[in-house]
Amino acid sequence: MSDITTTLRERARALMEDGTIAAFIGWEAGRFERQTTPLICLDAADTDRLIFDEYCVNTTAKYVRDLKQRGRIGVAVRGCDSRAINRMIEDNQFKREDVYLLGIPCPQMNDRKTGTVLNKCQDCAHRNPVTYDELLGEAMEETAPQDRYARAHLVSGLDRIARQNIFNMAFERCIRCYACRDVCPCCTCRTCFVDQRNVGWLGKQDNLSENRFYGMIRAFHISDRCIECGECERACPMDLPLMAINKKLVEDMNTLFGEYESGMTTDNEDALRSFSKTDLEEFE
Amino acid sequence: MPVVDEKKTTEEEWEPRILAFACNWCTYAGADLAGLNRMKYPANIRLLRVPCSGRVNPQYVLEALQKGCDGVLVCGCHPGDCHYSTGNYYAKRRLMIFKRFLEYVGLEPERFNVKWISASEAGRFRDTVKEFTEGVRKVGPLKESFTLAPSAGDKLFGAHNESEAPASEEGGAA
Repeated sequence: MSDITTTLRERARALMEDGTIAAFIGWEAGRFERQTTPLICLDAADTDRLIFDEYCVNTTAKYVRDLKQRGRIGVAVRGCDSRAINRMIEDNQFKREDVYLLGIPCPQMNDRKTGTVLNKCQDCAHRNPVTYDELLGEAMEETAPQDRYARAHLVSGLDRIARQNIFNMAFERCIRCYACRDVCPCCTCRTCFVDQRNVGWLGKQDNLSENRFYGMIRAFHISDRCIECGECERACPMDLPLMAINKKLVEDMNTLFGEYESGMTTDNEDALRSFSKTDLEEFE
Repeated sequence: MPVVDEKKTTEEEWEPRILAFACNWCTYAGADLAGLNRMKYPANIRLLRVPCSGRVNPQYVLEALQKGCDGVLVCGCHPGDCHYSTGNYYAKRRLMIFKRFLEYVGLEPERFNVKWISASEAGRFRDTVKEFTEGVRKVGPLKESFTLAPSAGDKLFGAHNESEAPASEEGGAA
């Protein structure tokens, strides 16, 4: 792992010094053991702080949006980061030539507290970056998860009342910090519907109805674009089963409208932005 | 959503309250025709005219269910007959996913449905409304099963036209 850190620092420094990129996004050591925090390098000297190890849990691609005015942005990308980049390019947030991607095959990230593989990494089917300008290290052999929708199947197998209880309990716990929205590479609206106070989609109360409205509608808004990175669930301070919702929506769309995987290319035809006259005629 | 009347929740006097989104170009005219022909259908339904079934944002559906409706029906033109050519195809995909989603979080399938009703199908409109109302009546008031949070549902819905609901509770506790 340390050799990746070394090459990452070297390449980032070289790119900063020859003016290819204006900023570089990676990770640096955090204040605690086994903890890292995203690092944005604005000059070449900062690149010495970059690291890469099994605790780089954050998906950093969304920072490109904040930095794109500075010029071309360098990003260290793993599988999930690269798919997030693809997703944002497809959503017209920036162009491919606005980013310079240093690909890193991902060794799977670990939970800081337990030292075991993170939930989001257990389901991962794309550890190698799907798009990059340079690949640091050797590409890995992909391990496809046994069941892509395992998280949804855990819940959908239960009866209606049990499912209702699960989601009522989950949404009752929600504190509506909007962390899931803020980390999501698909949530790129200039003004989110929850912030449109005058329109009044969402009240200010912290209660089950409002929380459920937020949780369900946010999931629905990103449903056809979700790259299944699991970052929302990782960022959630209340440990809500958010991926059980996202996976369910993705599963439905895959079974009803044909197999697809969001974020693999930049010209995907999203299920809810298109239609086919041969769609299943479910409603009479 | 307009405040129509006080929500009755006890078993005997409860009547389902149903919101129907009706496309201006087909279902709304179909409902009009049903009226002209003096057809009888349950008065539980409230029609809300929209320019196209593609206009129905799934947020409206969830909002209606959370703020006092027991069922929501979306009606539009038959696929291929949309006034705007493609609106109902988009609506179909969207609502197919949303219906499954509502059922996934624990709502009964009877509470939400989509029907294609053209302007000439007055009888079909009547039958749809009857059928849907009966379905909702069978599953009972939403409040008990979807657990509308008291602070949002009751207060929000009742705060403007009646002072007794939240106030009497406070008075009783004190």
